Amino acid sequence: MDSLDFTAVLRFRDALLQGLLTTLELTLICIVLGCAIGFAVGLARTSTNLPLRNLSSVYVEFFRGTPVLIQLFWIFFCLPLLLGIELSNFASGVIALTLYMGAITSETFRASLKSIGREQFDACVALGLPRWAQITSVVLPQALLRAIPTLLSNCVSLFKESALVSAVGMADLMFIGSNISNNTARPVEVLTVVALIYFVIAFPLTRAVTVIERRILQKLAV
Amino acid sequence: MRDQPAAPLVSVSGLQKSYGALKVLKGIDLTMKPGERLVVIGPSGGGKSTLLRVMMGLETINGGSVTLAGKPYIRAGATPARTVIDIAVRRSIGMVFQHYTLFPHLNVMQNLILAPCKVRGENKVKASERAAALLTRFGLGEKLTAYPSQLSGGQKQRVAIARALMLDPRLMLFDEVTSALDPELVGEVEQVILQLAKQDMPMMIVTHDMWFAKNIASRVLFCAGGVIVEDGPPEQVLGSPKEERTRDFIDRVFHIRQ
Repeated sequence: MDSLDFTAVLRFRDALLQGLLTTLELTLICIVLGCAIGFAVGLARTSTNLPLRNLSSVYVEFFRGTPVLIQLFWIFFCLPLLLGIELSNFASGVIALTLYMGAITSETFRASLKSIGREQFDACVALGLPRWAQITSVVLPQALLRAIPTLLSNCVSLFKESALVSAVGMADLMFIGSNISNNTARPVEVLTVVALIYFVIAFPLTRAVTVIERRILQKLAV
Repeated sequence: MRDQPAAPLVSVSGLQKSYGALKVLKGIDLTMKPGERLVVIGPSGGGKSTLLRVMMGLETINGGSVTLAGKPYIRAGATPARTVIDIAVRRSIGMVFQHYTLFPHLNVMQNLILAPCKVRGENKVKASERAAALLTRFGLGEKLTAYPSQLSGGQKQRVAIARALMLDPRLMLFDEVTSALDPELVGEVEQVILQLAKQDMPMMIVTHDMWFAKNIASRVLFCAGGVIVEDGPPEQVLGSPKEERTRDFIDRVFHIRQ
């Protein structure tokens, strides 16, 4: 094998950028939708309603206990058969990763909900706060604050896991990277650069987790 | 009409509460007139705090009812889970807890205006003005934007009292509000409650602080084993109790204090 040559990578930088944008778009959509599902499911799992609790547990355990790649294939191939509609690559990717994100963040939210003391709920009752105000003004903000460090880690995982959507032909960073590497026969250079791109985005986020965690704990120490 | 005895503000009748097989309240009967300040004393586990928590509507009950100003707002159902609680009536009662229970993610001002804005739909500016006035009166005028984690225990408890007052309660419940405080901070909290007493705020106070009980009570209840053992003016219950169990308790408490 001859020496490394990164000109191939440079030549395809626009395509790589396009792939990165797709990856980011997909990740962001799935973070927002997944966190919303995760919070609702986290609440359901701490609920006193047994059927609701069981149903949400089945969902979470299924999605946490099976490979994301299989979930993705399942949604890409089986869901159209079941629903009788054609799903775009992007739509299947969004559905699969959102459900996955919902499952893992629900655990994060469940832990943070449990860390909110019973006394906070007593205070809500004593102040006569209606149920929705309890959730939106007291429970959600505290659960979010406490969950932020772990949620950030969840987001970083999702960002990396999103590379799997290339397997169903979605033109994300990974897909474009492997295409370039196949066509230029420069897998080492191309995949190294692709990995670096992932790293440059993920690393500051993982570093931020530590700092943010410390600040939040300071604020919530009562 | 004015010559007739005032209608009771609160009446508790046949109140029973169990935690599993453990009977904590064994049929409490109690009436409280407007302007009265009831101090409830007694050994731990005697049911004092549970009584207050039931009156606040924080607990289900196994029997009996509680009425506020003629409106029954807590009634036992077929099972404890079916306890009927009238939320609208409950809103006119304020409660302060041992462990402050401020909302840690909100600053002092936000803690105070949350309920008025969300419960009564009060205008934010108006609520903030009321809150600032109240906090200034309680010596917290410079802490409006502080977060609970930046306050001392005494300051937190004063904020908690102010927060409860924002809803203009007709009755205030204080559940061991100085028990978690360092001794040197107890006074500032008790002063605030004494201030309220001067304005004839009806209140029920559970405390272990006999000095405070003596100073604030218009009536003292000695509660033990899930029943009210003795009920009378402070001079009687704290000074020369009629019941032997009360006497034992008072002797022991004052002995410990000396």
